[in-house]
Amino acid sequence: MIRVWLAVLVLLLQACTTSVVVEGTVPTPLVSKIPARIGVYYSDEFRNFRYREVIQDAGTWNIDLGSQNLTFFRHLMGSLFRGVQEVHEPPLTRDEMTELDGVIIPRIEKYGFLTPRISGLKFYSASIEYRIALYDKAGKKVGDWNIIGYGKSEGGMFSTEEAINEATVLAIRDGGARIAIELIDQPAVRDWINRLESIEPKPGLNATKQTDISVDEEEDQS
Amino acid sequence: MKRLSFLLVALFSVSGCVSSRIEQSREATTGITSEEAMVLLGRASYNEKQTEDSFTDCIAQALNQGSNPIRLIPQEKFKDDLYPWFEPRTAPTSADELGRLFAQPGVKNQIDTAKVRYLAWIDGDTVKIDSGGSMSCTISSFGGGCFGMSYWEEDASYEASIWDLQSMTSTGQISADATGTSYIAGLIVPIPILARPGNAACKGLANQLREFITGES
Repeated sequence: MIRVWLAVLVLLLQACTTSVVVEGTVPTPLVSKIPARIGVYYSDEFRNFRYREVIQDAGTWNIDLGSQNLTFFRHLMGSLFRGVQEVHEPPLTRDEMTELDGVIIPRIEKYGFLTPRISGLKFYSASIEYRIALYDKAGKKVGDWNIIGYGKSEGGMFSTEEAINEATVLAIRDGGARIAIELIDQPAVRDWINRLESIEPKPGLNATKQTDISVDEEEDQS
Repeated sequence: MKRLSFLLVALFSVSGCVSSRIEQSREATTGITSEEAMVLLGRASYNEKQTEDSFTDCIAQALNQGSNPIRLIPQEKFKDDLYPWFEPRTAPTSADELGRLFAQPGVKNQIDTAKVRYLAWIDGDTVKIDSGGSMSCTISSFGGGCFGMSYWEEDASYEASIWDLQSMTSTGQISADATGTSYIAGLIVPIPILARPGNAACKGLANQLREFITGES
């Protein structure tokens, strides 16, 4: 009898939970490559990002966007930089940095969504806040930037799960678009690229000398 | 019984009245070859309004049909192929920005390869502007039914801005405005008499857009 009640309880709990595994297209950005070889560190939290929220009268929401987000960033980084290599958590040794000009660490700071019932609008909407940190060859921070992506989806055309999926995919795309277009225009990134370009043509420059590049500017721009 | 069925079918097939107005403003001559294509893009901004996908789909369907169909590139494919340049917050807002956009590596080449000649931005939405009346439905052991009447008025207002990607200029605008009132009358069973101003605006805009692009108007 207890088993029956437990089964009923599990079924009831499942009925109050909405689970979404975010899936969507992954476009390849059409942008000029930054002339740098970059190491990218994707933390386990970034790789497996899940969002859980309990909303009164709307039950529990589990949104798994880790896989879509990781695939999207792999495409994005591959299109943005001349060379990309996934690396372990910094700091990296001098030997590991030999073939790299810097390291990028993307993080998801916040994720959130709104249903039409909460917002009073006709749309499901989602937002995702990324923090992108860039370190130079010596391991000094070049800068870090907060980038927010927004997405919304019509409620009428999709089921709730599909609409949240669509809004989240669009939020990732929007954040990615801003990274693709705006990262290269950041003064700190421009300075970093200029320093790399001024070093590149010099033949016979060894890795030890490259690590001696001093970085005075540390920008924190939101 | 047969007469009652006929009456019910007749009542359900009645649609509410819709009044619509189409206006056009031309800035340059147009024309399209069978090889050239057009893209319809719904304007999306991050406020409470956004052009519904269903509206751009309706126009695309209308343009694809008929004796003189226009070749259309699906907007999702166009946006993916030109990512990140046609996302809601990065897309050009006027034809004057096309020169700067086409200077980006690969953009002009991608548009030339797909033979996209025209880009039509569809901006607008359908909103409820008025509602009223009352209807109540009851059910009891003796039966049930609905009594009363309610209505709502909707306004569909859209504008298409057409850009020539070959000359990188704006060629004109077409606007469609349609208003309609829908009713639900409760005479034991609820009888809806629906007006579809969005559908009327779609058909009017699509017909005018076809004539505009082919140079017939």
